[in-house]
Amino acid sequence: MTTPPIELHGLSKTYRLGFFLSRRVRALENLDMVIEPGQVYGLLGPNGAGKSTTIKIVMNLVQASSGTARLFGRSPTDTEARRQVGFVPENPAPYEYLTGREFVELAAHLGGVPRAEVRKRSLEVLESVGMGRAADLQIRRYSKGMIQRVALAQGVVHRPPLLILDEPTSGLDPVGRRMVRDFILEERRRGTTVLFCTHIIPDVEALCDRVAVLVNGRRVREGRVADLLTAGTPQMEMVLEGLSEAQVRGLGRTLDEVQVLESRLLVRCSDAEAQRLLAQVLQAGGRVSSLEPARFSLEDLFLQAMSEARQGAVGGEIL
Amino acid sequence: MIRSFLAIAYNGFREARRNRVTLVLAFFAGLLLLSSSLITDITVATFDRVLIDIGLGGMGIILVLLAVFLSTGLLSREIERRTIFMVVSKPVSRALFLVARLAGNMLTLTILQVLMGALLLLEFWVLRTPVTWPTVLAMGMLWFELLLLSSVGFLMSSFTGQMTSAFVTVSMFFVGHLSGDIYTFAQRSKNEALRALGKTLYYLLPNLERLNLRGPASYGIVVPAREWLVSGLYAVAYSAVLTCLAVFTFRRRDFR
Repeated sequence: MTTPPIELHGLSKTYRLGFFLSRRVRALENLDMVIEPGQVYGLLGPNGAGKSTTIKIVMNLVQASSGTARLFGRSPTDTEARRQVGFVPENPAPYEYLTGREFVELAAHLGGVPRAEVRKRSLEVLESVGMGRAADLQIRRYSKGMIQRVALAQGVVHRPPLLILDEPTSGLDPVGRRMVRDFILEERRRGTTVLFCTHIIPDVEALCDRVAVLVNGRRVREGRVADLLTAGTPQMEMVLEGLSEAQVRGLGRTLDEVQVLESRLLVRCSDAEAQRLLAQVLQAGGRVSSLEPARFSLEDLFLQAMSEARQGAVGGEIL
Repeated sequence: MIRSFLAIAYNGFREARRNRVTLVLAFFAGLLLLSSSLITDITVATFDRVLIDIGLGGMGIILVLLAVFLSTGLLSREIERRTIFMVVSKPVSRALFLVARLAGNMLTLTILQVLMGALLLLEFWVLRTPVTWPTVLAMGMLWFELLLLSSVGFLMSSFTGQMTSAFVTVSMFFVGHLSGDIYTFAQRSKNEALRALGKTLYYLLPNLERLNLRGPASYGIVVPAREWLVSGLYAVAYSAVLTCLAVFTFRRRDFR
């Protein structure tokens, strides 16, 4: 049986803040998560949900208050476990006095790339993220998008089987976002397991196999993206013509929503009600110009999960 | 492991080399050493002594300032800017990272000290001032002082910010040169507790004065080998203890 790249069991983290460390903020509570090889796994949540804390525990940047984190079956403190991981933090800040090539070469040395291959491999990955021409410029002269590209290059220069990205598209322009998305898709094609956290929902929908929604340090949803979206599509959406709102409401069906769109009506109701309503509308002389499942987006799921968990408040829980 | 150590240490040196403040200080060092030759124009009988005094003193001040700046500034900045995320998340232990960073700092200081020393000796040669063993020894012992101060800076940077680290390190420089006086004054007190406190502080604080051989150098006094060897070992041991404490703290630190 293959060891999962990431296993988290009962993971919790409480930060102690203030001069006397007397204020406590719970950033993560009892998180369980298993990421299988080859998956692209998204951690979705608002600011302060615990996404970055989770990643930092996995990368040994922060120590868990309780619970266990495993990287390929080993502790994140084990340097050999971290050798199999490429990590790109949120708003990466590489050494700005180095050139892009020097920084990626430093990462290659630390990642254990054979000495003879360091130069060649560094240039290859820089080329692959579109930084070949700017490789010998100092990083202080780079734009945010270029820094993100170099950060991605240093993350994969040692060809890790697991890639962890913290808010990889945050603050990027559409071109930069597209580049990062293509980069993740390319890594998936190569069989790399990818964990990334974001609050940009379309990125999760476009890239992830599985997703976990974190709110207030707790996991409130988890599953395959397709399953979560299917499970959340109980409604049908109909566009009706030739009947007034009062006539439609008078048909006696339970309708979730009726909107008047000039001469048409947009009606949302459950699937069972829609079948009956369809027959009644036709019988009453109306027309049905469209009938389709109401699109339940990940955004709807996310907002629903948030409102269930904490009524829209953001940030870690202050104890 | 050795390769990672060398890569991080060399990167630290490269950082300092490309840092403009380092260049400014190096330039200042050259300027100060040259100005010492102008000052000696107004001296007659004590020409050589003043030259050695100013040369070694200037070198000491500049390198101590640089040691404080490098040891407290670069690591703190790396943590504050979160650059450290991309290094300590690599297959590198935090202990190795910290020690390699310290080694990089010492490499920078050593190279600058060698260059400044060469500049000073060149000046001696030009002005026909004899180069004596006490002068060379005083330059060498300065390296141990820089090592000790850098270790203080790294210990502080391992758990606190740049300003606090710099303040404590500079304070430690002054206190370290006065620890003998603290002991002497305390022993003169009639209060037993004060005497005990003075003694404790004397043994606890670094005694930087025993690494300061600039006085004997300017008078051409030869310090016995046993004395400076023990002083050098003392500085290395003290630095090792501080570095172990820094590693202990750094390993437990959360990088938020």
